Amino acid sequence: MAERGGERGGFGRGFGRGGRGGRGDRGRGGRGGGRRGGGRRDEEEKWVPVTKLGRLVKEGKIRSLEQIYLHSLPVKEHQIIETLLPSLKDEVMKIMPVQKQTRAGQRTRFKAFVVVGDGNGHVGLGVKCSKEVATAIRGAIILAKLSVIPVRRGYWGNKIGKPHTVPCKVTGKCGSVTVRMVPAPRGAGIVAARVPKKVLQFAGIEDVFTSSRGSTKTLGNFVKATFDCLLKTYGFLTPDFWRETRFTKSPFQEYTDLLAKPTKVLIAEDTSKLDD
Amino acid sequence: MPKEMEVEENGLHVENFGSLHIYSEEEHDDEQDPQVENEEDDEVEEQEPVTLGFVEKPKSPNSLLRHFFPSKAGGVPAWLDPVDLPSERSRACGICGEPLQFLLQVYAPISEKESTFHRTLFVFMCPSMACLLQDQHEQWKRQPEKPSRSVKVFRCQLCRSNPFYSSEPPRFDGTDKPSKVGAELCCWCGTWKGDKVCSSCKSARYCSEKHQIMHWRSGHKVDCQRISCQSLVSSSSNSTTSSMKILGKVAGNTLWTEFEIVSEDECVFDTEASEDNNYSTSLVCNDQMDETVNSLLESFEGSDDKKSWASFQERISKAPEQVLRYCRDSKAKPLWPMSSGRPSESDIPKCNYCHGPMHYEFQILPQLLYYFGVKNDADSLDWATIVAYTCAASCEASTGYKEEFAWVQLSSSLV
Repeated sequence: MAERGGERGGFGRGFGRGGRGGRGDRGRGGRGGGRRGGGRRDEEEKWVPVTKLGRLVKEGKIRSLEQIYLHSLPVKEHQIIETLLPSLKDEVMKIMPVQKQTRAGQRTRFKAFVVVGDGNGHVGLGVKCSKEVATAIRGAIILAKLSVIPVRRGYWGNKIGKPHTVPCKVTGKCGSVTVRMVPAPRGAGIVAARVPKKVLQFAGIEDVFTSSRGSTKTLGNFVKATFDCLLKTYGFLTPDFWRETRFTKSPFQEYTDLLAKPTKVLIAEDTSKLDD
Repeated sequence: MPKEMEVEENGLHVENFGSLHIYSEEEHDDEQDPQVENEEDDEVEEQEPVTLGFVEKPKSPNSLLRHFFPSKAGGVPAWLDPVDLPSERSRACGICGEPLQFLLQVYAPISEKESTFHRTLFVFMCPSMACLLQDQHEQWKRQPEKPSRSVKVFRCQLCRSNPFYSSEPPRFDGTDKPSKVGAELCCWCGTWKGDKVCSSCKSARYCSEKHQIMHWRSGHKVDCQRISCQSLVSSSSNSTTSSMKILGKVAGNTLWTEFEIVSEDECVFDTEASEDNNYSTSLVCNDQMDETVNSLLESFEGSDDKKSWASFQERISKAPEQVLRYCRDSKAKPLWPMSSGRPSESDIPKCNYCHGPMHYEFQILPQLLYYFGVKNDADSLDWATIVAYTCAASCEASTGYKEEFAWVQLSSSLV
């Protein structure tokens, strides 16, 4: 069987094009190096999508993240979010070393906690553990981008200018911590503890009063509760949503060639058909 | 009216967000205290060297002919053994009966044995997604009476001295002549053996009735008369059609774009970690980290499927344009995008010919679909990976093209 080392198990040998060495310079030269020498490469340019949604986004058929939210399509590639939200900023909240006891001492890994947001209605949170800090941070940023959620904002009083606060009183709960967010007038700023304040800043909420209850010392539950709260802003049924939903076609359906269909009467398709 | 509050799209309504939730799938990493964690190796370090394949535009239309022993994707296959092509039953999709379409071929010789001096693996699949979904059921069947798959892998091998090619390597200087013409190929797909002849003009050959019908409808009806008149006059039309086939011009237009596959070792792409590590300030200080923070950490880390997808992405990100991963080591494991839908040891059958074990040889990645420009409709082709298992001994058998086993993993719509 083929083992590694001096094994001729690759392709391109035998009568191949001069073996691996010769192939290397000709093959990859035309692609701008092929090696990631120095600095960050431009990820979006070199992104080759792996999922169907990724291919649609790369082509440009999907132009906003809201289309993806509307049809609840799972996003598996972080480059999708990057393409649709180019102004996404990230911040590392914590690097926590965790250790595992081994016979030869302790093995330390690092857990990175990253929050991303564009300051305009989208936030995400990601956690990754890895042997190196840099790898953990990179992984956490990717996971954070994949978990981006939309945040609804509204007005406190007069509907002048852009929405600046939560649309209504919402409350989120996790463990024993409940966080209640109350609309605030302009200029109030974010009245919250340090950690949820960061999250709310990334969400793009400018003014809010908060009130919390429970053991907020447990920061994990605290942050999760604020996240839950933000999630609920779009879950709250207000009178503007009373109108009946007019369903639109899922992006996977929009570009089907309708002419290819046989001579059946075209019924307005609803969005429940999801790509499988 | 707070119209700005509502998202830009029309018809965006509250109900659609009921399904959005923070993933609270629990994963089995419970920590006793913040500083010590359980054994959990989420990164399976693969020590075996992997060769990656990338697609590139071919240098010239003639550079991918079979006497150059190419590795290519799309277009028509460059059959290694040009005479003993796959039979009628093996060339059709087991589910819909249409002839399969050529996906890619990999030139993968093994130098230990003389009989495998030349060795190529061909992958064919049916371009219909409905067949691929049905094929999933087929591949899970163990020892079926007659396997009816829609994805097939063929292996062909030759000794150095063989009746089709010279024993010297090709010189690539323009003087290489194609070897003697092999069997006639279907003039619609250019892929399979054209053993059926058009009864009226006697010069157009087809691999199946379906292709004959397609060709007839898209122009052969007109040409047929002309050709049959010509052949009565002179017998030169046969040679013109066969010389056209050598250049790879086929009548059908559904073939995937032709590319050449170039190889590169994966270790070439390993990057150095060059980011600075001074992230000492943090919002959450150490003593405040306890079980609940850790539970938060877990819930944001995601479920099994997400984790395997994340490791897959990480591995791919070293060389995002790769379409093929090749590793013939006996200990090699394929890189699985999903955690569901993986075969166990017993799901991989024994070799059809020598009944020896089959091992993983290479896998095809979905970037290929992007390069082929496959449409992205609801019913167009999409897979997460196709893994080819081949006979570990690369046995000799009487047929020219031996069938191997392909495992397809589809991307699940759940995360």
